[in-house]
Amino acid sequence: MVASQSQARSSVTSIDDVGLVVDADSHLTESVDDLYPYMDDRDEGIKQLIKLSEIPFSDIFSITAPTPIFPDGQDEGTADVDLWSGANDIEGKHDLMDEYGIDHSIVNPTLVAVVNTVNNSRIARALVSAYNRYLIDNFADSDRISNIMVVAPHEPNRAAEEIDEWADEDSVVGVLIPPAGLVPAAGDRRYDPIYEAAQRHDLPVHYHSNTGAVHRSFPMQHNWSQTYAEEHAIMHPFTHMWNLSSLLFNGTPERFPDVEFVFNEAGIGWIPYMTWRLDDHYLELPHDVPVLEKLPSEYISDQFYFTTQPLGHTARDGRHIAQIIEMIGPDSVMYSADLPHPDFDLPAELFDRIRSQFDDEAVEKIMGKNAADLFGIEA
Amino acid sequence: MSRSPTEHRVPNADRLDEDGARITVDVDGQEITVFRYDGEYYAVLNFCVHQAGPLCEGRLTGRMTTDEDGWEWTYDDEEKHVVCPWHGWKFDITDGTNVSDSRYVVPTYDVEKRDGELYIVR
Repeated sequence: MVASQSQARSSVTSIDDVGLVVDADSHLTESVDDLYPYMDDRDEGIKQLIKLSEIPFSDIFSITAPTPIFPDGQDEGTADVDLWSGANDIEGKHDLMDEYGIDHSIVNPTLVAVVNTVNNSRIARALVSAYNRYLIDNFADSDRISNIMVVAPHEPNRAAEEIDEWADEDSVVGVLIPPAGLVPAAGDRRYDPIYEAAQRHDLPVHYHSNTGAVHRSFPMQHNWSQTYAEEHAIMHPFTHMWNLSSLLFNGTPERFPDVEFVFNEAGIGWIPYMTWRLDDHYLELPHDVPVLEKLPSEYISDQFYFTTQPLGHTARDGRHIAQIIEMIGPDSVMYSADLPHPDFDLPAELFDRIRSQFDDEAVEKIMGKNAADLFGIEA
Repeated sequence: MSRSPTEHRVPNADRLDEDGARITVDVDGQEITVFRYDGEYYAVLNFCVHQAGPLCEGRLTGRMTTDEDGWEWTYDDEEKHVVCPWHGWKFDITDGTNVSDSRYVVPTYDVEKRDGELYIVR
Protein backbone atom coordinates (compact mmCIF):
# COMPACT_ATOMS: atom_id res chain seq x y z
CA MET A 1 0.00 0.00 0.00
CA VAL A 2 2.21 2.82 1.17
CA ALA A 3 5.34 1.50 -0.48
CA SER A 4 3.62 0.87 -3.80
CA GLN A 5 2.38 4.44 -3.84
CA SER A 6 5.89 5.74 -3.36
CA GLN A 7 7.03 3.77 -6.38
CA ALA A 8 4.33 5.30 -8.53
CA ARG A 9 5.74 8.80 -8.79
CA SER A 10 8.10 10.73 -6.61
CA SER A 11 9.79 13.95 -7.64
CA VAL A 12 9.31 15.79 -4.34
CA THR A 13 12.71 15.46 -2.77
CA SER A 14 12.61 18.09 -0.03
CA ILE A 15 10.14 20.28 1.78
CA ASP A 16 11.15 23.07 -0.61
CA ASP A 17 9.55 21.14 -3.47
CA VAL A 18 6.12 21.15 -1.81
CA GLY A 19 3.92 23.60 -3.67
CA LEU A 20 1.86 24.83 -0.74
CA VAL A 21 2.39 24.36 2.98
CA VAL A 22 -0.68 25.23 5.03
CA ASP A 23 -0.72 25.35 8.81
CA ALA A 24 -4.32 24.25 9.31
CA ASP A 25 -4.23 25.10 13.01
CA SER A 26 -2.41 28.35 13.72
CA HIS A 27 -3.23 30.67 16.60
CA LEU A 28 -3.65 34.22 17.63
CA THR A 29 -2.59 35.06 21.17
CA GLU A 30 -5.37 37.44 22.09
CA SER A 31 -5.72 38.83 25.59
CA VAL A 32 -8.75 40.18 27.39
CA ASP A 33 -7.28 43.66 26.94
CA ASP A 34 -7.25 43.13 23.18
CA LEU A 35 -10.96 42.45 23.22
CA TYR A 36 -12.18 45.48 25.21
CA PRO A 37 -12.06 47.89 22.25
CA TYR A 38 -14.22 45.48 20.27
CA MET A 39 -17.06 45.35 22.77
CA ASP A 40 -19.76 47.57 21.33
CA ASP A 41 -22.48 49.56 23.10
CA ARG A 42 -24.67 46.57 23.78
CA ASP A 43 -21.80 45.01 25.72
CA GLU A 44 -20.76 48.10 27.67
CA GLY A 45 -22.16 46.61 30.88
CA ILE A 46 -20.31 43.37 30.31
CA LYS A 47 -17.10 45.24 29.64
CA GLN A 48 -17.41 47.14 32.90
CA LEU A 49 -18.13 43.90 34.74
CA ILE A 50 -15.02 42.23 33.34
CA LYS A 51 -12.93 45.27 34.22
CA LEU A 52 -13.95 44.91 37.85
CA SER A 53 -11.95 41.69 37.89
CA GLU A 54 -8.29 41.75 38.83
CA ILE A 55 -7.92 38.17 37.62
CA PRO A 56 -10.21 37.57 34.60
CA PHE A 57 -8.66 34.12 34.12
CA SER A 58 -10.39 33.01 37.31
CA ASP A 59 -13.22 35.53 37.82
CA ILE A 60 -14.56 35.59 34.26
CA PHE A 61 -12.97 32.54 32.74
CA SER A 62 -12.17 29.62 34.98
CA ILE A 63 -8.86 28.47 33.55
CA THR A 64 -7.01 26.05 35.72
CA ALA A 65 -4.31 23.41 35.53
CA PRO A 66 -2.66 21.16 38.14
CA THR A 67 0.76 22.72 37.51
CA PRO A 68 1.84 25.65 35.25
CA ILE A 69 0.93 25.38 31.56
CA PHE A 70 4.10 25.22 29.43
CA PRO A 71 5.94 27.61 31.79
CA ASP A 72 9.10 27.70 29.68
CA GLY A 73 7.18 29.02 26.70
CA GLN A 74 6.01 32.11 28.51
CA ASP A 75 9.21 33.88 29.46
CA GLU A 76 8.75 37.44 28.28
CA GLY A 77 11.55 38.57 26.08
CA THR A 78 13.01 35.14 25.45
CA ALA A 79 10.28 33.18 23.69
CA ASP A 80 9.57 33.98 20.04
CA VAL A 81 5.99 34.80 20.92
CA ASP A 82 4.60 35.05 24.40
CA LEU A 83 1.84 32.47 24.63
CA TRP A 84 -0.74 34.72 26.26
CA SER A 85 0.37 38.16 25.09
CA GLY A 86 -1.59 40.31 22.73
CA ALA A 87 1.49 41.35 20.76
CA ASN A 88 0.17 39.92 17.55
CA ASP A 89 -0.55 41.23 14.07
CA ILE A 90 -0.39 40.23 10.42
CA GLU A 91 3.25 41.15 10.15
CA GLY A 92 4.09 39.08 13.21
CA LYS A 93 2.23 36.11 11.78
CA HIS A 94 3.96 36.47 8.42
CA ASP A 95 7.37 36.68 10.08
CA LEU A 96 6.79 33.49 11.99
CA MET A 97 5.40 31.71 8.91
CA ASP A 98 8.41 32.81 6.85
CA GLU A 99 10.81 31.65 9.52
CA TYR A 100 9.33 28.17 9.53
CA GLY A 101 8.40 27.76 5.87
CA ILE A 102 4.64 28.04 6.07
CA ASP A 103 2.80 29.56 3.13
CA HIS A 104 -0.67 29.94 4.59
CA SER A 105 -2.22 29.80 8.06
CA ILE A 106 -5.71 28.91 9.22
CA VAL A 107 -6.08 30.93 12.38
CA ASN A 108 -7.78 29.80 15.59
CA PRO A 109 -7.96 31.73 18.88
CA THR A 110 -6.15 30.87 22.11
CA LEU A 111 -7.92 32.47 25.05
CA VAL A 112 -11.39 32.50 23.52
CA ALA A 113 -11.03 28.81 22.71
CA VAL A 114 -11.67 28.13 26.41
CA VAL A 115 -14.87 30.18 26.48
CA ASN A 116 -16.67 27.14 27.89
CA THR A 117 -15.06 28.00 31.21
CA VAL A 118 -17.09 31.22 31.30
CA ASN A 119 -20.18 30.53 33.39
CA ASN A 120 -22.13 33.62 32.40
CA SER A 121 -23.61 33.12 28.96
CA ARG A 122 -23.91 36.87 28.32
CA ILE A 123 -20.23 37.37 29.04
CA ALA A 124 -19.34 34.36 26.89
CA ARG A 125 -21.33 35.75 23.97
CA ALA A 126 -19.79 39.20 24.41
CA LEU A 127 -16.26 37.76 24.48
CA VAL A 128 -16.63 35.77 21.26
CA SER A 129 -18.36 38.65 19.50
CA ALA A 130 -15.50 40.92 20.50
CA TYR A 131 -12.99 38.29 19.38
CA ASN A 132 -14.62 37.98 15.97
CA ARG A 133 -14.50 41.75 15.49
CA TYR A 134 -10.88 41.80 16.66
CA LEU A 135 -10.11 38.95 14.27
CA ILE A 136 -11.65 40.62 11.25
CA ASP A 137 -10.29 44.04 12.09
CA ASN A 138 -6.72 42.83 12.46
CA PHE A 139 -6.29 39.67 10.37
CA ALA A 140 -8.60 39.94 7.37
CA ASP A 141 -6.23 41.75 5.03
CA SER A 142 -3.68 39.07 4.35
CA ASP A 143 -3.76 36.69 1.41
CA ARG A 144 -1.75 34.26 3.56
CA ILE A 145 -4.12 34.11 6.50
CA SER A 146 -7.62 32.65 6.72
CA ASN A 147 -9.74 32.98 9.82
CA ILE A 148 -11.82 30.68 11.97
CA MET A 149 -14.57 32.62 13.71
CA VAL A 150 -15.74 31.48 17.13
CA VAL A 151 -19.12 30.92 18.76
CA ALA A 152 -20.07 30.49 22.39
CA PRO A 153 -22.10 27.27 22.58
CA HIS A 154 -23.95 28.46 25.70
CA GLU A 155 -26.81 29.92 23.64
CA PRO A 156 -26.94 28.06 20.32
CA ASN A 157 -29.47 30.38 18.68
CA ARG A 158 -27.32 33.41 19.47
CA ALA A 159 -24.31 31.47 18.21
CA ALA A 160 -26.13 30.95 14.92
CA GLU A 161 -26.77 34.72 14.72
CA GLU A 162 -23.06 35.27 15.27
CA ILE A 163 -22.31 32.99 12.30
CA ASP A 164 -24.82 34.88 10.16
CA GLU A 165 -23.04 38.11 11.04
CA TRP A 166 -19.53 37.05 10.01
CA ALA A 167 -19.89 34.22 7.53
CA ASP A 168 -19.78 36.45 4.47
CA GLU A 169 -16.41 37.93 5.39
CA ASP A 170 -13.94 36.76 2.76
CA SER A 171 -11.31 35.77 5.29
CA VAL A 172 -13.68 33.65 7.39
CA VAL A 173 -13.36 30.00 6.32
CA GLY A 174 -14.74 28.11 9.31
CA VAL A 175 -16.41 28.32 12.69
CA LEU A 176 -15.00 27.00 15.96
CA ILE A 177 -17.26 25.32 18.46
CA PRO A 178 -14.88 25.10 21.41
CA PRO A 179 -15.02 21.42 22.39
CA ALA A 180 -13.02 21.60 25.62
CA GLY A 181 -15.47 21.77 28.48
CA LEU A 182 -18.38 21.46 26.05
CA VAL A 183 -21.21 19.88 28.03
CA PRO A 184 -23.19 18.15 26.71
CA ALA A 185 -20.93 17.00 23.91
CA ALA A 186 -21.02 18.27 20.35
CA GLY A 187 -23.65 15.88 18.99
CA ASP A 188 -26.40 17.05 21.34
CA ARG A 189 -29.31 18.34 19.31
CA ARG A 190 -29.37 21.61 21.24
CA TYR A 191 -26.46 22.68 19.05
CA ASP A 192 -28.32 22.03 15.81
CA PRO A 193 -28.91 25.76 15.17
CA ILE A 194 -25.12 26.16 15.01
CA TYR A 195 -24.79 23.34 12.50
CA GLU A 196 -27.71 24.68 10.48
CA ALA A 197 -25.98 28.05 10.26
CA ALA A 198 -22.64 26.46 9.35
CA GLN A 199 -24.32 24.42 6.62
CA ARG A 200 -26.25 27.46 5.38
CA HIS A 201 -22.99 29.37 4.98
CA ASP A 202 -20.89 26.43 3.82
CA LEU A 203 -18.47 26.80 6.73
CA PRO A 204 -16.54 23.83 8.12
CA VAL A 205 -16.99 23.38 11.87
CA HIS A 206 -13.83 23.19 13.95
CA TYR A 207 -13.22 21.48 17.26
CA HIS A 208 -9.99 22.56 18.88
CA SER A 209 -9.19 20.84 22.16
CA ASN A 210 -7.66 22.79 25.03
CA THR A 211 -6.59 21.71 28.48
CA GLY A 212 -7.50 24.88 30.39
CA ALA A 213 -11.19 24.09 30.03
CA VAL A 214 -11.36 20.34 30.43
CA HIS A 215 -12.27 20.45 34.10
CA ARG A 216 -15.78 21.28 32.87
CA SER A 217 -16.16 18.06 30.90
CA PHE A 218 -13.74 15.74 32.69
CA PRO A 219 -13.76 17.05 36.28
CA MET A 220 -12.68 13.81 37.88
CA GLN A 221 -9.71 13.40 35.57
CA HIS A 222 -8.72 17.02 36.11
CA ASN A 223 -9.18 16.97 39.86
CA TRP A 224 -7.00 13.92 40.26
CA SER A 225 -4.26 14.78 37.78
CA GLN A 226 -1.12 15.48 39.76
CA THR A 227 0.55 17.50 37.02
CA TYR A 228 -0.20 19.42 33.85
CA ALA A 229 1.79 16.82 31.91
CA GLU A 230 -0.50 14.08 33.16
CA GLU A 231 -3.60 16.08 32.33
CA HIS A 232 -2.39 17.34 28.96
CA ALA A 233 -1.41 13.86 27.75
CA ILE A 234 -4.94 12.48 28.00
CA MET A 235 -7.30 15.44 27.85
CA HIS A 236 -6.83 16.35 24.19
CA PRO A 237 -7.66 12.87 22.87
CA PHE A 238 -10.36 12.37 25.53
CA THR A 239 -12.04 15.59 24.41
CA HIS A 240 -12.02 14.58 20.77
CA MET A 241 -13.02 10.98 21.39
CA TRP A 242 -16.06 12.17 23.32
CA ASN A 243 -17.10 14.78 20.80
CA LEU A 244 -16.44 12.61 17.75
CA SER A 245 -18.48 9.78 19.26
CA SER A 246 -21.24 12.18 20.21
CA LEU A 247 -21.43 13.67 16.73
CA LEU A 248 -21.56 10.30 15.02
CA PHE A 249 -23.84 8.36 17.34
CA ASN A 250 -26.29 11.24 17.53
CA GLY A 251 -26.39 11.49 13.76
CA THR A 252 -25.11 15.05 13.30
CA PRO A 253 -23.34 14.32 9.99
CA GLU A 254 -26.47 12.51 8.80
CA ARG A 255 -28.65 15.53 9.62
CA PHE A 256 -26.13 17.97 8.17
CA PRO A 257 -24.61 16.15 5.21
CA ASP A 258 -22.97 19.27 3.80
CA VAL A 259 -21.09 20.18 6.97
CA GLU A 260 -17.42 19.29 7.22
CA PHE A 261 -15.96 18.67 10.67
CA VAL A 262 -12.33 19.47 11.53
CA PHE A 263 -10.55 18.22 14.64
CA ASN A 264 -7.45 20.10 15.84
CA GLU A 265 -4.70 19.60 18.39
CA ALA A 266 -4.81 15.95 19.47
CA GLY A 267 -2.53 14.45 16.81
CA ILE A 268 -3.73 11.61 14.61
CA GLY A 269 -2.68 8.36 16.25
CA TRP A 270 -5.99 7.98 18.08
CA ILE A 271 -8.14 8.15 14.96
CA PRO A 272 -7.81 4.62 13.52
CA TYR A 273 -8.31 3.14 16.98
CA MET A 274 -11.42 5.26 17.58
CA THR A 275 -12.77 4.61 14.10
CA TRP A 276 -12.50 0.86 14.62
CA ARG A 277 -14.32 1.18 17.93
CA LEU A 278 -17.10 3.28 16.46
CA ASP A 279 -17.62 0.90 13.53
CA ASP A 280 -17.58 -2.05 15.89
CA HIS A 281 -20.20 -0.50 18.19
CA TYR A 282 -22.36 0.52 15.25
CA LEU A 283 -22.45 -3.10 14.09
CA GLU A 284 -22.80 -4.70 17.53
CA LEU A 285 -25.36 -2.31 19.02
CA PRO A 286 -27.62 -1.39 16.10
CA HIS A 287 -30.56 -0.55 18.39
CA ASP A 288 -28.48 2.30 19.85
CA VAL A 289 -27.49 3.84 16.52
CA PRO A 290 -30.57 3.84 14.31
CA VAL A 291 -29.81 7.34 13.03
CA LEU A 292 -26.85 6.34 10.88
CA GLU A 293 -27.18 5.02 7.35
CA LYS A 294 -23.60 3.83 6.95
CA LEU A 295 -20.53 2.95 8.98
CA PRO A 296 -19.11 5.72 11.19
CA SER A 297 -15.82 5.34 9.30
CA GLU A 298 -17.65 6.23 6.08
CA TYR A 299 -18.98 9.47 7.56
CA ILE A 300 -15.45 10.16 8.79
CA SER A 301 -14.06 9.56 5.32
CA ASP A 302 -16.73 11.75 3.70
CA GLN A 303 -17.08 14.66 6.12
CA PHE A 304 -14.28 14.71 8.72
CA TYR A 305 -10.76 16.13 8.70
CA PHE A 306 -7.97 15.92 11.23
CA THR A 307 -4.95 18.15 11.66
CA THR A 308 -1.67 16.51 12.51
CA GLN A 309 -0.16 18.46 15.39
CA PRO A 310 1.02 17.27 17.87
CA LEU A 311 2.43 14.23 16.09
CA GLY A 312 4.02 12.99 19.27
CA HIS A 313 7.50 11.53 19.53
CA THR A 314 7.93 10.01 16.10
CA ALA A 315 11.67 9.55 15.92
CA ARG A 316 11.78 5.88 16.87
CA ASP A 317 10.21 4.87 13.57
CA GLY A 318 8.99 7.68 11.38
CA ARG A 319 7.14 5.30 9.05
CA HIS A 320 4.52 4.79 11.72
CA ILE A 321 3.13 8.28 11.08
CA ALA A 322 2.75 7.42 7.40
CA GLN A 323 1.05 4.16 8.31
CA ILE A 324 -1.40 6.00 10.56
CA ILE A 325 -2.21 8.43 7.74
CA GLU A 326 -2.70 5.52 5.38
CA MET A 327 -5.20 4.04 7.84
CA ILE A 328 -7.13 7.30 8.18
CA GLY A 329 -6.92 8.14 4.50
CA PRO A 330 -4.58 10.84 3.12
CA ASP A 331 -7.55 12.90 1.92
CA SER A 332 -8.72 13.45 5.51
CA VAL A 333 -5.45 14.63 7.03
CA MET A 334 -4.07 18.17 7.05
CA TYR A 335 -0.70 19.34 8.28
CA SER A 336 -0.80 21.77 11.18
CA ALA A 337 1.91 23.58 13.09
CA ASP A 338 0.03 25.13 16.01
CA LEU A 339 2.28 28.16 15.92
CA PRO A 340 3.04 30.00 18.13
CA HIS A 341 2.16 27.52 20.85
CA PRO A 342 5.07 25.74 22.50
CA ASP A 343 4.28 22.22 21.34
CA PHE A 344 4.32 23.15 17.65
CA ASP A 345 5.38 20.84 14.78
CA LEU A 346 7.40 22.41 11.99
CA PRO A 347 6.62 21.24 8.43
CA ALA A 348 9.63 18.93 8.21
CA GLU A 349 8.51 17.06 11.31
CA LEU A 350 5.67 15.64 9.22
CA PHE A 351 7.17 15.89 5.75
CA ASP A 352 10.24 13.82 6.68
CA ARG A 353 7.97 11.00 7.88
CA ILE A 354 5.75 10.85 4.81
CA ARG A 355 7.89 11.83 1.80
CA SER A 356 9.24 8.38 1.10
CA GLN A 357 6.00 6.61 1.97
CA PHE A 358 3.49 8.36 -0.32
CA ASP A 359 3.47 9.58 -3.88
CA ASP A 360 3.80 13.28 -4.65
CA GLU A 361 0.08 13.87 -4.90
CA ALA A 362 -0.61 12.49 -1.44
CA VAL A 363 2.30 14.40 0.08
CA GLU A 364 1.06 17.65 -1.48
CA LYS A 365 -2.46 16.96 -0.21
CA ILE A 366 -1.37 16.31 3.34
CA MET A 367 1.02 19.27 3.54
CA GLY A 368 -1.39 21.81 2.08
CA LYS A 369 -3.69 20.90 -0.77
CA ASN A 370 -6.35 19.24 1.36
CA ALA A 371 -6.55 22.43 3.41
CA ALA A 372 -6.56 24.58 0.29
CA ASP A 373 -9.47 22.60 -1.13
CA LEU A 374 -11.44 22.57 2.12
CA PHE A 375 -10.96 26.25 2.94
CA GLY A 376 -10.95 27.62 -0.60
CA ILE A 377 -7.40 28.88 -0.48
CA GLU A 378 -5.96 29.95 -3.82
CA ALA A 379 -2.38 28.78 -4.08
CA MET B 1 -17.88 -26.96 -11.52
CA SER B 2 -21.32 -26.03 -10.27
CA ARG B 3 -23.87 -28.60 -9.29
CA SER B 4 -27.63 -28.56 -9.38
CA PRO B 5 -29.36 -27.49 -6.19
CA THR B 6 -30.45 -30.37 -4.05
CA GLU B 7 -33.49 -30.55 -1.82
CA HIS B 8 -32.70 -31.54 1.75
CA ARG B 9 -35.65 -32.64 3.83
CA VAL B 10 -36.11 -30.88 7.18
CA PRO B 11 -36.89 -33.42 9.90
CA ASN B 12 -39.62 -32.73 12.43
CA ALA B 13 -40.96 -29.87 10.34
CA ASP B 14 -44.24 -30.14 12.17
CA ARG B 15 -42.50 -28.52 15.16
CA LEU B 16 -42.37 -25.26 13.19
CA ASP B 17 -45.92 -24.69 14.26
CA GLU B 18 -45.70 -21.02 15.19
CA ASP B 19 -43.83 -17.89 14.15
CA GLY B 20 -40.44 -17.66 15.79
CA ALA B 21 -39.95 -21.45 15.91
CA ARG B 22 -36.74 -22.80 14.39
CA ILE B 23 -35.02 -26.05 13.53
CA THR B 24 -31.32 -26.43 12.80
CA VAL B 25 -30.23 -29.28 10.54
CA ASP B 26 -26.95 -30.52 9.10
CA VAL B 27 -26.76 -30.14 5.34
CA ASP B 28 -23.62 -31.55 3.76
CA GLY B 29 -21.68 -30.73 6.90
CA GLN B 30 -23.05 -27.25 7.36
CA GLU B 31 -25.62 -26.15 9.92
CA ILE B 32 -28.62 -24.46 8.40
CA THR B 33 -31.49 -23.12 10.47
CA VAL B 34 -35.06 -22.94 9.22
CA PHE B 35 -37.10 -20.20 10.86
CA ARG B 36 -40.82 -19.71 10.65
CA TYR B 37 -41.74 -16.05 10.35
CA ASP B 38 -45.15 -14.64 9.38
CA GLY B 39 -46.28 -18.09 8.27
CA GLU B 40 -43.37 -18.52 5.87
CA TYR B 41 -40.12 -20.46 6.19
CA TYR B 42 -36.62 -19.03 5.85
CA ALA B 43 -33.35 -20.96 5.86
CA VAL B 44 -30.18 -19.24 7.10
CA LEU B 45 -26.65 -20.56 7.46
CA ASN B 46 -25.83 -20.86 11.15
CA PHE B 47 -22.64 -18.89 10.69
CA CYS B 48 -22.04 -15.25 11.48
CA VAL B 49 -19.86 -13.55 8.89
CA HIS B 50 -18.37 -11.39 11.65
CA GLN B 51 -16.37 -13.93 13.67
CA ALA B 52 -17.96 -17.25 12.71
CA GLY B 53 -20.34 -17.32 15.67
CA PRO B 54 -23.46 -19.56 15.87
CA LEU B 55 -25.68 -16.83 14.45
CA CYS B 56 -28.93 -18.78 14.39
CA GLU B 57 -28.79 -19.62 18.08
CA GLY B 58 -29.53 -15.97 18.81
CA ARG B 59 -32.91 -14.48 19.52
CA LEU B 60 -35.27 -13.08 16.94
CA THR B 61 -36.07 -9.39 17.35
CA GLY B 62 -37.48 -6.36 15.63
CA ARG B 63 -35.28 -3.39 14.97
CA MET B 64 -34.95 0.24 15.95
CA THR B 65 -35.77 2.80 13.28
CA THR B 66 -36.08 6.58 13.20
CA ASP B 67 -38.12 9.19 11.42
CA GLU B 68 -36.47 11.25 8.72
CA ASP B 69 -35.30 13.84 11.24
CA GLY B 70 -33.75 11.19 13.47
CA TRP B 71 -35.58 12.43 16.57
CA GLU B 72 -38.33 9.82 16.92
CA TRP B 73 -37.07 6.31 17.58
CA THR B 74 -39.58 3.65 16.65
CA TYR B 75 -39.38 -0.07 17.33
CA ASP B 76 -40.26 -1.99 14.21
CA ASP B 77 -41.72 -5.11 15.83
CA GLU B 78 -41.42 -7.38 12.79
CA GLU B 79 -39.35 -10.01 14.55
CA LYS B 80 -37.46 -11.21 11.50
CA HIS B 81 -33.95 -10.30 12.68
CA VAL B 82 -31.65 -12.85 14.25
CA VAL B 83 -29.04 -11.49 16.66
CA CYS B 84 -25.76 -13.32 16.85
CA PRO B 85 -25.28 -14.43 20.47
CA TRP B 86 -21.57 -13.72 20.29
CA HIS B 87 -21.34 -10.01 19.38
CA GLY B 88 -24.86 -8.86 18.62
CA TRP B 89 -24.60 -8.52 14.85
CA LYS B 90 -28.15 -8.52 13.53
CA PHE B 91 -29.32 -10.02 10.24
CA ASP B 92 -32.64 -10.09 8.40
CA ILE B 93 -33.53 -13.79 8.09
CA THR B 94 -35.59 -13.16 4.94
CA ASP B 95 -32.62 -12.04 2.84
CA GLY B 96 -29.53 -12.49 5.04
CA THR B 97 -28.50 -8.84 5.11
CA ASN B 98 -27.00 -7.15 8.15
CA VAL B 99 -29.33 -4.42 9.43
CA SER B 100 -26.47 -1.93 9.90
CA ASP B 101 -24.46 -2.59 6.76
CA SER B 102 -26.03 -4.45 3.84
CA ARG B 103 -22.59 -5.36 2.50
CA TYR B 104 -22.46 -8.01 5.21
CA VAL B 105 -24.70 -10.86 4.14
CA VAL B 106 -25.13 -14.33 5.61
CA PRO B 107 -26.12 -17.08 3.13
CA THR B 108 -29.81 -17.91 2.89
CA TYR B 109 -31.56 -20.70 1.02
CA ASP B 110 -34.95 -21.30 -0.52
CA VAL B 111 -37.34 -23.50 1.41
CA GLU B 112 -39.84 -25.65 -0.49
CA LYS B 113 -43.01 -26.90 1.15
CA ARG B 114 -44.54 -30.02 -0.34
CA ASP B 115 -46.87 -32.71 0.99
CA GLY B 116 -46.47 -31.49 4.57
CA GLU B 117 -42.69 -31.64 4.39
CA LEU B 118 -40.11 -28.82 4.20
CA TYR B 119 -37.02 -28.96 1.99
CA ILE B 120 -33.96 -26.70 2.11
CA VAL B 121 -32.77 -26.11 -1.45
CA ARG B 122 -29.02 -25.93 -1.56
